[in-house]
Amino acid sequence: MNGDETFIEIECSQSIKTGESVCGDAFKTVRLDDENRHIAVLSDGLGSGIKACLLASMTTTMALEFIRKNMDVLPSAEIIMDTLPVCELRKISYATFSIFDILSGGKVRVIEMDNPKFIHLRNGKDVQWEAKTMVSEKWPDRKLGVTEFKAIAGDRIICFSDGVSQAGLGSPENKFGWRRDGALKFIQDVIAKEPSVSARELARKITVEARSKNPEYKYLDDTSCMVIYFRKPRKLQLLTGPPFNEENDKIFAKRVLSYEGKTVLCGGTTANIISRELNRKITTNLKLIRISGNLPPPSQMDGVDLITEGILTLTEVCRALEAGKLYDLPLAASELTNMLMNSDVIDLIVGTKVNEAHQDPNLPVDLEIRRNIVKKIKYILEQKYRKLVTIKYY
Amino acid sequence: MEKIKVEICVGTTCFVLGASALQDIEMFLPEELKDKVEITGANCLGLCKNSHFGDAPFVRINESIIVSQATIDSVINEIKKLVK
Repeated sequence: MNGDETFIEIECSQSIKTGESVCGDAFKTVRLDDENRHIAVLSDGLGSGIKACLLASMTTTMALEFIRKNMDVLPSAEIIMDTLPVCELRKISYATFSIFDILSGGKVRVIEMDNPKFIHLRNGKDVQWEAKTMVSEKWPDRKLGVTEFKAIAGDRIICFSDGVSQAGLGSPENKFGWRRDGALKFIQDVIAKEPSVSARELARKITVEARSKNPEYKYLDDTSCMVIYFRKPRKLQLLTGPPFNEENDKIFAKRVLSYEGKTVLCGGTTANIISRELNRKITTNLKLIRISGNLPPPSQMDGVDLITEGILTLTEVCRALEAGKLYDLPLAASELTNMLMNSDVIDLIVGTKVNEAHQDPNLPVDLEIRRNIVKKIKYILEQKYRKLVTIKYY
Repeated sequence: MEKIKVEICVGTTCFVLGASALQDIEMFLPEELKDKVEITGANCLGLCKNSHFGDAPFVRINESIIVSQATIDSVINEIKKLVK
């Protein structure tokens, strides 16, 4: 299921209840490469603000660890319920959860407690699976639903907190809220119009649409939507730096011609090498400098999706990825970050020749060695953004 | 008459040493030069790797004249020499 053929894209869009400073829903996911397995957990803590955030964060953290260690479902749930601190106001300890355990081969196990029931879409249709109910003797009023099925390429699993299903509650159009059915219809319409919409984009669209159901466009509750998309991987190669041996220039050029996916060149010399080898012209629109922020503007070449300056741009992108601040970036960094976010498999092709001019101590900024910055980007893309990243040096 | 081609290098070294400010050359060009000059950005011209050319930022005029440590004034002066 995983690997070359199908990539499992897992994304969550979260919005904080208007007026609060932290989200009372929590989302956590992990990819276990050794087992070819993915686990994702969404939890909604009782109330909102810090208290809810704490309950939800504890729940997702525990659930993820218990599932990762293959503990039995019922005792795991009991430990979570026993551990959560009791709300002073309501005298209960409570956070909902939905756990998605995706194993090698596409086998999916879903464990739910009190979140709106997940949606499994196959060819645009909502596949209704029957859940097995489990009840803890210690907590008889908390019912767990366990569903098992096999996912195939093209499937989507969508799960949201009640901030989505209860959006618009009490309004003339949605007296009982948007509900699962309303959200489902919206999701089906989006996919009909845009069949390969990414998990990231779909999740964002759902939370934004939920908000539009509320009066004054406010989030009346913490609103989270998680989407898992079993998709054909979107590939991107990023070539940066001139190869140490010039004879490898040709390999770089060949890669640009033959790669099945998007190509980005980061670095003036890298772009010049490709331009020379393929006899293709590079154009740089100087007018773009005005809107480029503190980075050189992107350039264009036939057959290449993006050309940027090298080390400054990569440094800025690395900083943005690390901080999770992917907006308001200088033009070149913003375009590159978007392309990375919209890819599943990223091949980093790094030429290791050092540009001596960059080592001049008189330069007003410190320029990192390319190899280091690319290694750091790889780490962040894997750990924080769950991308499959390879790196190759020339 | 063919326009004078002015390429401002926006490679890393040139950019950090002030090429970003050179974009405004167009605004400072005397009226009589405005329609005689074409200003573009250029990917790294590779000049910073060879000390023989001087220091960044670099501007290249008509593919052959290299202005090192370029400023708006020094580039305009070079253009004026070509027009005379």
